[in-house]
Amino acid sequence: MREHGTTSQRMPLEGDAPLEGGAGRLTPEELRRSLQIFREKLSSDEVAYINSCVRCGLCADSCHYYLAEPQTECIPAYKLGLVTGVFKMYFGSVGKVFPRWMGARRLDRQTLEAWVDSLFGRCTLCGRCSLNCSVGLDVTRLIRLARSTLVSVGLVPRGLQSTVDTALQKGNNMGIPRQEWVETVEWLEQELRGELNDERARLPLDVQGARLLCTVNPREPMFFPLSIVAAGKILHAAGESWTFSSENYDVTNYGLFSGDDDAARVMAERLVESMERLGCETLVLAECGHGFNSNRWKGPQWLRKRYGFEVRSILEVVADYVREGRIKLDPSLNPDLVTLHDPCNLVRLGGVVEDQRYLLERSSLHFVEMVPNREKNFCCGGGGGQLSMSEFSERRLSAGKIKAEQIRATGARVVAAPCHNCIDQISELNKHYKLGVETKTVCEVVAAALVTEG
Amino acid sequence: MTPFLRYAVFLSSGFCLVSLLILLIKTFAFGRRTNYAKHRGSAVRGVLYAFGRGMMPTEKESARRHLFTYSAGVTYHGGILAALVYLVLLLLEYELPAPLLSLFRLLLTLGFVAGFFLLLRRILLPAPRKLSCPDDFAANILVTAFVLLGAVHSQWESGLPLFFLTATAVFLYVPLGKIRHCVFFFYSRVLFGLFYGSRGVLPQEKKQEAA
Ligand code: SF4
Ligand code: SF4
Repeated sequence: MREHGTTSQRMPLEGDAPLEGGAGRLTPEELRRSLQIFREKLSSDEVAYINSCVRCGLCADSCHYYLAEPQTECIPAYKLGLVTGVFKMYFGSVGKVFPRWMGARRLDRQTLEAWVDSLFGRCTLCGRCSLNCSVGLDVTRLIRLARSTLVSVGLVPRGLQSTVDTALQKGNNMGIPRQEWVETVEWLEQELRGELNDERARLPLDVQGARLLCTVNPREPMFFPLSIVAAGKILHAAGESWTFSSENYDVTNYGLFSGDDDAARVMAERLVESMERLGCETLVLAECGHGFNSNRWKGPQWLRKRYGFEVRSILEVVADYVREGRIKLDPSLNPDLVTLHDPCNLVRLGGVVEDQRYLLERSSLHFVEMVPNREKNFCCGGGGGQLSMSEFSERRLSAGKIKAEQIRATGARVVAAPCHNCIDQISELNKHYKLGVETKTVCEVVAAALVTEG
Repeated sequence: MTPFLRYAVFLSSGFCLVSLLILLIKTFAFGRRTNYAKHRGSAVRGVLYAFGRGMMPTEKESARRHLFTYSAGVTYHGGILAALVYLVLLLLEYELPAPLLSLFRLLLTLGFVAGFFLLLRRILLPAPRKLSCPDDFAANILVTAFVLLGAVHSQWESGLPLFFLTATAVFLYVPLGKIRHCVFFFYSRVLFGLFYGSRGVLPQEKKQEAA
């Protein structure tokens, strides 16, 4: 495990300076280093994207930041221009000679400050602009590339960096000691037994050769233990062979958000190690949008290998139980109007689109879609690491306005959100915009509708 | 004058093609990352979607919200393509039959109007203006002039030297500025299809209410 702030590309500033004026303290050597990292991170795909943007601006109102605050700085193409300008200055033949003509810009302290403010502070890496781009270019890839460059000079906002550091140091992003996690699982197992009135019900730990290895978001044992009980209830009812791991169980990976590929690799590898140690067939990812994207799609890329096991969302697993008749649901047990939020990393960037709908339609009496939905959904505003960057929390709440309006328009009482980041953000939106809703994971809704023996 | 300009068009188009090829080679030289994750959907279907249904306003909220601009963009590019074909036919000294000539006239005129509208939009609307750099205006002015001169020639059979001269300027400028997107658009679109297709995100079969 690496020490605090020593991810191989990170060069912390003296005294770990706060963000304001952070870039002002960079030495010429550090600036050179940032350009070197920027170059190293470029692949042909990013270069193609850079050469594709026609600055038509049609992406503007696909971004929740722009809808909340219609100013140039919030337009995806503007944020993109901060990155493409640097490419043009150093790697484009015309931009070097005629920078103003081509919109090229130096990678200097001012640019780095602008990157922090716009690319950390005004983007959740939700990818909605890419879907609506006239060309179809992946804006998030270029913004993340710039974030990676900021990692290399220690300019990641402190809250986000410390979440990454805690995960690296302590094995999970909440810093839960192993013993505490084990005791929590034991305590929750008692709860589960009590709830099901079944002494055989278990929340198994470290079962060698179990079919499924289930992960959790460390916020669950800390703040949402009932979502663990809900998942356990479903797995027990399905008669599944499964286990938690006493170590390396954290589904989250904030390296995805900070742009720190080295840290992200370490975190992704931990789950692979757990799988190999316990000899399980399928890695089951808890309801966590970015955890899904990180481990299902990005992990193999960070580790540069194909996984020898399946990686699935718990939603896919549970939907299979219903299809196969392994669990029975009674929708009348959930009489309230339920709506669904589509986490960007799970749906638009992850491909798990229909299973959560399949489950909610069968486990609630009244299910209503938000508009737009599925891959066209609006980000709740909590992605991209925003919840950990307190300096941008006002913007985060303002950018969540469109999601709040979507929720209000459904008239729903319950918002099911298969992601704990989204749940946190929607809970804040709930208070801020006075929505009067309750937020739940999909498994919590399903578990409430479960028909159990006796 | 015209034979000289004819050679200039040939030479500049050669320069354009070779430069674009070099640009592509330089782009590939940055290397591609292998995708190790097991596919969930079909990359091929994703790419087909990217070049078909995925470009339609029914699928794209941005196109729906800005239907006029979107239509102008499509018309403009249709006009540019028509101008290029018209140029080739002129260089080959091919006599266009009257109905075909009328079609070219129409496409070129509409293309010019659309191009001019997009130029005005870029100048007059604050957001596109702030996003733009001189390259954007230059590219638009140059290409719109090219389409306009094609339209003029198709109507009155005059202004051929000017049409050739503008074509030469366009070809020289393509690899230098933003018009290079004529190649990179296709590259990015393929990447779009591969990404969403392999992840099983697109194409989606289920219909959803439009925003
Ligand atoms: S829609 Fe795409 S091409 Fe147009 S400005 Fe936005 S990112 Fe650039
Ligand atoms: S990725 Fe999302 S938040 Fe970022 S610029 Fe695009 S639409 Fe806006």
